Amino acid sequence: MTVISILTRLDTLCKKYEKYDLEKQGGAQDSSNDAFLKLYKLMESDIEAALQKSSDASIEKNRAAVATLNAEVRRAKASMRNEISHLQKLAHKKVKGVTKEELAARPDIVLGLVGKIEAIPEGTIMGIKPKGGKPPAIPFEIKMDGVNPEDLIHPEQYQDTEESKGFREVVQKKKGKQDEGLEVISEGLETLKNMAQDINEELSRQVPLVEEIDSKVDKAALDLGNTNIRLKDTITKLRSSRNFCIDIVLMCVVLGIAGYLYK
Amino acid sequence: MNYEKLKDAEKMLKEANKLTKLSFARWSADWAEATPLYEQAGLAFKLAKETAKAKEAFEKAAMGQERLLSPWQAAKHMEAAGGLAKELGNWTEVADFYKRACELYAESGKPQPGADALARGARALEDAVPDEAVRLYLDSCAILEEEDKEQLAFDTYRAATNLYLKLQRCMWLWSRFEDAANMLLRWGLAADKCKAIQSQCKAYLSAIITYLYAQDLKQAEQCHVDCTQIDVFLQSEQNACAEKLLQAYREADPEEIKYVVSKSSTIQHLDHMIIRLAKQLPTGDMKAIASASGNIQDNELDVNNCIC
Repeated sequence: MTVISILTRLDTLCKKYEKYDLEKQGGAQDSSNDAFLKLYKLMESDIEAALQKSSDASIEKNRAAVATLNAEVRRAKASMRNEISHLQKLAHKKVKGVTKEELAARPDIVLGLVGKIEAIPEGTIMGIKPKGGKPPAIPFEIKMDGVNPEDLIHPEQYQDTEESKGFREVVQKKKGKQDEGLEVISEGLETLKNMAQDINEELSRQVPLVEEIDSKVDKAALDLGNTNIRLKDTITKLRSSRNFCIDIVLMCVVLGIAGYLYK
Repeated sequence: MNYEKLKDAEKMLKEANKLTKLSFARWSADWAEATPLYEQAGLAFKLAKETAKAKEAFEKAAMGQERLLSPWQAAKHMEAAGGLAKELGNWTEVADFYKRACELYAESGKPQPGADALARGARALEDAVPDEAVRLYLDSCAILEEEDKEQLAFDTYRAATNLYLKLQRCMWLWSRFEDAANMLLRWGLAADKCKAIQSQCKAYLSAIITYLYAQDLKQAEQCHVDCTQIDVFLQSEQNACAEKLLQAYREADPEEIKYVVSKSSTIQHLDHMIIRLAKQLPTGDMKAIASASGNIQDNELDVNNCIC
């Protein structure tokens, strides 16, 4: 019995006896009334997923995959931050079946959740090794998320500093080098294009000649075949057994005459 | 061993001559016997470097093949004789032999090898009698055009154009430029018939450059106007290059001309003779050229005004 068949059987059994599953029933009943709990559970599962992704990113060797995973983690954190405000509103609502102490504890739970979200590692760029002669690593963490409300409060972050000016110059130089490289490539491509067009014309010139050769060779092959057949017929006629016998008989006659004459 | 082969060849030639010479005893020449002897003798003389005798043998062999109603073989022998005549320096004979070979090829129903034969003859005569060579090139192109085989004429056109430009360099006759440009335009026409767009546009651009080199801006512009009537050329990058060049000429700016020529990859892919011309642009006095074309235009305007 394979693992897969065991699993499928398990699934069918569970589905069959679902109605006896108290925990699920109880949970479903609770969540149908309590939007806070629903959202809380959702956010917990999202945090789990984000943590999983970030641990994968730390193990992953392929840089592109690491970058993608980090970007996904950051996106998840941003969406969760947006949900937190909604959760905070729900935390203050009165819900049936929830005690007063539990209600009072909900805002703390929310804050705990916020802490958990912020704690998820998202692979910042602090790990760049500074190479000799280049300016140090980017001073500000590059935020790929939406507008952070903190940025609006602290606009000084976007003013030019010496470091950022230096960085801009480096970027311009690199762009210049890229442009030079691209020019070289474009020249090469133009040469290739011209050569390809000339080859194209030459080939179209050769096409009718090759077709003519083809038809002439076909004709010659046909003629050869015919000639071979005729040759074969002629040879068989020449060397037919009847002629052979006649030749032998005549030769015997000649020999006989010669022998008689010598005698 | 060479000496023996030479002796054999002489013997064969004598034998063949005897067979073909009409005399009291012989009323008709035996070409069937004589022709193979002539061919072998010719080959042997050629190997022994007896050019004159080889040429004579091949001539007779060609005549024999003609009498034997085999014009193809006759043409081949005529070409061989022509090649040998070139080595001897008999230029008139060279031209005659190759022309006869072409006729024989045409007789045998294959005009294209005839055109090739004329082109080969022209190449042989290029250095010695260039005018005759040019005539042969033109005849060759004409034959191929009649047979709708213009694509095969491209090489001949190129050779003829190069010859004209070479002649101009040696003799410094301005008319040669016009001839060269005409040849290029004919080349463009042939390319148009067989839809060889790349060659066509290159030919037109080369013609414009040739006119500019000849310091004839007016002709160059007229040529450009004519060529732009053709859609294919209008949309090509060769046209863009030509426009830039003519604009630079109108502004009489030598630096701009040199810049256009050096930066343009289109010009770098033309024939090497044309590239050489282009690199020497601008020739002559820019202002004189620009004003010459400008004055002529002004005169035309005045005439129009008078009529109005």
